[in-house]
Amino acid sequence: MRDIFEEQESDDESPDRTADARADGGVTRPGRETASGLERVTNALDERFGEDFVESSPFWFPAFLLMALFVYGAIFWNLLISLTDYEGFLNDPNYSNLDFEMYVRAFNDPNVINASVNTLILVIGFTLATLVIGLLLAILIDRGIRFENTFRTIYLLPMSLSFVVTAQFWLWMYNYNNGVINIVLGVVGLGPIDWLGNQSIVLWAVILALMWQFSGYAMVVYLAGLRAIPDDNYEAAMVDGASTVKMYWRVIIPQLKGATISASVVLMVFALKAFDFLYALVSGYRPPAGTDILATLMVREAYQNTNWAYGSAIAIILFAMALLIIGPYLIYQFRRDNL
Amino acid sequence: MTSEKESLSRRRFVQSSAVAATAGVAGCSSLGLGGGGGQLNLMHAFTGGDGAIAAEALFEAFREEYPDIELDLEPIGGGGNQNLDTVVANRLSNDDPPSAFANWPGKNLQKYEGALGNVDDVWADNDFEDAHIDEAVELHQQGGSYRATPMASHRLNNLFYNISAVEEAGVDPESIDSPPALIDALDTVATETDVTPMTQAMSGTWTITQLWAAIMQGQEGYQPYMDFIEGNGDQAAVQAAFETMAEILDNYIGDDAASVDLTASNSNIINGDAAFIHQGNWAAGAFRNAEDFEYEEDWGAVAFPGTENMYCLHFNSWLFPANNPTDELSKTWLEFVGKPKAQIAYGKNKGAIPTRTDVDMDEFGPYLQDVAEDFAEVDYRPPSLQHGLAVTSEKMSALNDVISNTFTGPYEPEAAAQGFMDAV
Repeated sequence: MRDIFEEQESDDESPDRTADARADGGVTRPGRETASGLERVTNALDERFGEDFVESSPFWFPAFLLMALFVYGAIFWNLLISLTDYEGFLNDPNYSNLDFEMYVRAFNDPNVINASVNTLILVIGFTLATLVIGLLLAILIDRGIRFENTFRTIYLLPMSLSFVVTAQFWLWMYNYNNGVINIVLGVVGLGPIDWLGNQSIVLWAVILALMWQFSGYAMVVYLAGLRAIPDDNYEAAMVDGASTVKMYWRVIIPQLKGATISASVVLMVFALKAFDFLYALVSGYRPPAGTDILATLMVREAYQNTNWAYGSAIAIILFAMALLIIGPYLIYQFRRDNL
Repeated sequence: MTSEKESLSRRRFVQSSAVAATAGVAGCSSLGLGGGGGQLNLMHAFTGGDGAIAAEALFEAFREEYPDIELDLEPIGGGGNQNLDTVVANRLSNDDPPSAFANWPGKNLQKYEGALGNVDDVWADNDFEDAHIDEAVELHQQGGSYRATPMASHRLNNLFYNISAVEEAGVDPESIDSPPALIDALDTVATETDVTPMTQAMSGTWTITQLWAAIMQGQEGYQPYMDFIEGNGDQAAVQAAFETMAEILDNYIGDDAASVDLTASNSNIINGDAAFIHQGNWAAGAFRNAEDFEYEEDWGAVAFPGTENMYCLHFNSWLFPANNPTDELSKTWLEFVGKPKAQIAYGKNKGAIPTRTDVDMDEFGPYLQDVAEDFAEVDYRPPSLQHGLAVTSEKMSALNDVISNTFTGPYEPEAAAQGFMDAV
C-alpha cells in the first residue's frame, strides 16, 4: 500500500516542483545559505518524518486534527478525569491534584472485579465459540452444497439485526414457561432451565445469544479465506490419502490464520460492546445478576451515582483491556508490513 | 488524466475536511449557549401509556392557562427514569440545564447538590406550605431552601389482587393483616387453584427492594423501618424481613419471574394468571387501561399486610436547576404544578393523588378517592426506599447491588441483611 501511495504522489507533482523539492532536500549540503528560517524548519521536519512531510500536510492534517481532537483527545481527557476526584455537580473537576485513588478503589471493589471477570469470560468464551461455529458453517457451505447463496444469507441475517431486536427475541425465547428453548428441551425430556434467573447460567445464555448473532459474520470471513485456498491443496491432500478431517485439520485450517485473527479481533470488540444487548434485555443499566460487565458498571457509576471520576477509571480499565486485545494484532500487522 | 482526477478529488477532500473541522469547532462552541430564550424547556420521562396521557393533559392545562408561553418538551423514556437521569446529568454537568425536570425529591436531591436553584419565593407566594402535607414540605428542601415543587403522589404499600382468583381460592384479602398471614393466603391460593399466587417482576432488582421495604414496614413496623433508613437499623429485624421475603420468592412467585417485567406482571393480574401483586399504585393505571377490568369487580386493592396505618410515600416532583436559562418562566411552571389544576389534570390520568390537601377529588374516580382517603387518615407516611425519598441515589444503587448479588436466587437472607446494613 505504502509503495503505491508514494508512486502516486510523485506522479502528481509537476516536474519543476519535484526539482524544487530535490534542491530543497539538499539542506544538509554545506555551503547552502539561501534557505530562510521557515524553509529550514520545513526541511528539518521533512528530514525527520520523511520526504514531503510538510508539503503533504494539507491532505492528512485536517483529518489527523479531527481524529486527535474527537477520539484521542477525548480518551486523554477521560484519563485525566479518572485521575481526579470529580463527582456530583457541586464542583468542576480539579486537575491540580491528580492521583490513582480511583484505580486503587476499583481494584478493591468486588463489583469491579466481578464485572472484569464477566467481561473476560464474555470476550473469550464468545469469541472462541463463535469462531468454531463460523468455521464449521463456512466449511459446510464451501462443500458446494445446493442453495449455497440462500444458506449464506440465512446464516448472515442475524448480524444485520440490531442488539435491541435480538435481545427482545432472546428474552422471549428464554422465558421459563413459554419460551421456545425450554419447550424444545422439554420435548427431549430436559429442563426446564431458568436461563435468565440462574446466576451461574445467565452469562452463558447471553453468550449463546451473541453467538447466534455473530457466527454468520465469522462464517463469511472464513468463507473468503477458504475460497482463497487453491484447489490444488485439496487435491494434493486427497492424492496423498488424507481423510477429510485430516485434510482440513492439517492442510486447510492452518492456512486460515489471517482470517482467524481478523475475525477474532472484530468479535472481541463486539463482545466488549455487549452493553447494548444487556441494556435492551432488561431495559435498564443493571443487567441480570451474574452478567454485570464493565460497560454496564461504568454507566451506573457515572450516571446513577454521578461518580464521574470513578466511572472514567472503569472506562480506562475497559479501554486497557481493549488495547491488550487490539495491540498484538496491530503489532502483527505492522510486522507483516500491512500498516 | 488520472493525476488530474486524483488532485481534484484530493482538493475536494481537503475542502470537505475543512468544512467538517469548522462544523466540529462550531458545535463545540455552541455548547452551553443553546436553549433559546422564552421557551420553557421541560424534561420528563412520562412517555408510556397512562404516563403519556397524563403528561399531555398536564401540558394542555398549562397552555390553557398561559397561552403565551411556548413549551419546549423533551420526553425521555425508557429504563424507568434512568435515561432521563443520564440526559439531565449531561446537561447539568455541561452547564446547559433545562428549565425544569421531573424527578424525585427527598434524599434524591443530594445527587444534584450545587446544581439546583432556590424556589423559596414560589413556596412563599403561593402558600404551598399550608396547602401541602407536612412530608412534602420537608422533602422538597435542601440546605434550608426549597428546590422543587410536588405534583402528585403514588402509594407504595399496596397489595393488588384479581378478585376471581382470590374468590376461587376462598381467600379474603381484607383479612390478611401481616406478612406471615400473606404467606398463608399465598399457600391457600397455591393449593386451591392453578394460578400463580403472587406475580413479581424479577427482571430488575428494584421490585425486590421495594417489596422488602413493604415487608419491613408490615412485619417489623414503622419505627424499625425509619431506624433502618436513618442508618441505625436493627440487623435482626432487617434479616427477619428478608427471611419472610425469601419464603415468598422461593415458593409463590412463578417460575418465569426472572424474565417478567412490570408490564408482564401487571398483565398476569389482568389475565387472571396470578392472584396477588405488590406494586406502587401506578399498577392501578395499567389495570384501568385494560378492557373489561373494573375496580371492585375484577380487581381490588388493600394496603400491604401490616401497613394498614401507613401510606408509603412517593412523589412526582419538578426540580429547578441553578443557572436557570428561563428563571421566571421556570418558576411559573413550578407554581403551576403545585396548584390544583395541574394536580388534577395529571393525577386523574396517571392514577396518582394530589399532594395538596385541598383538592376536590370528584374527578378522580372511586379507586383514587379511596387512596386519598387513606392518605389523609393514616398515622404514618414513611418515605419510599426505592423511589428516591428515603436514601440517596448512591445508597439506593448499593442496596440494589446487594439484592443483585444475594437475593435474585438463591436467596441468602443473612448475607442480604449484612449487605443492607453496610450499605445505608
